[in-house]
Amino acid sequence: MRAIELGMTNCHVCNQVVKLPKHKGEGTVLCPRCGEEVHLRKPNSIQYTWALVIASIILYIPANVLPMMEVETFAGTQADTIISGVIYFLETGSYLIASVIFIASIIVPITKLIILIYLLVSVQKKSPLHKKKRKKLYVLTELIGKWSMVDVYVVAIMIALVHFGGLTEIKAGDGATYFLLVVVVTMIAAMQFDPKLIWDTEIQEKRETDAGNA
Amino acid sequence: MAEKMVCCHECDELLHIPQTQKEGRLKCPRCGTVLLRQKKGMVEIMYALSIAAAILFLLTNYFPFLSFHVVGNTSHANFMTSIVYLFGEGDWLIGIAVLMTTVVVPLIRIGLMLSLFGPIYHGIIPPYTVLALKVLSHSLPWAMLDVFLVGVFVSMVKLVKMGTIVPGLSLWAFMVMVFVMAAMQVVFDPHPLWEKVDERRRQKGMA
Ligand SMILES: [Zn+2]
Ligand SMILES: [Zn+2]
Repeated sequence: MRAIELGMTNCHVCNQVVKLPKHKGEGTVLCPRCGEEVHLRKPNSIQYTWALVIASIILYIPANVLPMMEVETFAGTQADTIISGVIYFLETGSYLIASVIFIASIIVPITKLIILIYLLVSVQKKSPLHKKKRKKLYVLTELIGKWSMVDVYVVAIMIALVHFGGLTEIKAGDGATYFLLVVVVTMIAAMQFDPKLIWDTEIQEKRETDAGNA
Repeated sequence: MAEKMVCCHECDELLHIPQTQKEGRLKCPRCGTVLLRQKKGMVEIMYALSIAAAILFLLTNYFPFLSFHVVGNTSHANFMTSIVYLFGEGDWLIGIAVLMTTVVVPLIRIGLMLSLFGPIYHGIIPPYTVLALKVLSHSLPWAMLDVFLVGVFVSMVKLVKMGTIVPGLSLWAFMVMVFVMAAMQVVFDPHPLWEKVDERRRQKGMA
């Protein structure tokens, strides 16, 4: 038995099972235990998630094209993008660090966006397939999201340490700001997606088989 | 026997379980998500871990984090240094993000854990329990000290080629703190605390 069939759901903060009124438009329902707003499904989940996914794809372009970091020395200014940072580490033989940055800054955000798009499309098509696997993918997007922040932190730490008053200065590039926005927007996108939608096709299937039996 | 309902937050499966749950994990039969993980001694362990985390947090922010020497120049950095420079350069968006995810959110979480589990360990359910649990639930994704630690390692490798890096006392404290906070996240189970809130509400209702 699924909770939605009884008009119930769990509060997303305290997990209290709450029964919602049958008719919509009776205002918002608040959790009796913690006072948080309760909805059967996150409102406009699919539209909001799509909007945020598209926004992060757009932001991901300047994040990669613009420099993350600008190093100023007497020899001139050297700008580093995400990719040139990875190449620098590869050339200097730091393969472990190169792969850490490559995974955190490129693999993680792209994987997350691909998973979210797959989840959105499969939910919109009401696909009955691979529900457990899709649930695992959703949990994965929630787990890996914040790890993309590594490169932003590296820029912040470099700025703090390489600060010798005019001699050598490190500055954050505009790419770092865009990249930060990509991380935050994809994290909110994952939060907006409602994993219960993956399993909601079953109500329909059950109704169809009931109708077939009658 | 009295029963209560549990609804799976991933797949919406509704379960009826006995009111008094014995120890152990409860898995959702439909999707496999762990719904309950009653563990003995959770309050004691959380109290100890949050005291440790609070002390380590103070150490981390007080002592220099890393020192960097390049031909006669030395710079020291702790957590706030990078944030001050970021704001100074006008990179306020990155400054706010670093400040929130590595200082403000972790500090709030440690403070709330301490002010929850301290009184509860001594048998008192503080009046701010509901608010504290709500803030803990909403702030979880935005605490990123573990990610910052990886950022520290990457920066060290980058800088080692430019000069001499000297790890400060607070770097060691910070590494321990990241592990303590990870352990807190594994042990932390808000469910029994919500049940205590329920109990108190029922008692109030009867009085
Ligand atoms: Zn609630
Ligand atoms: Zn489930």
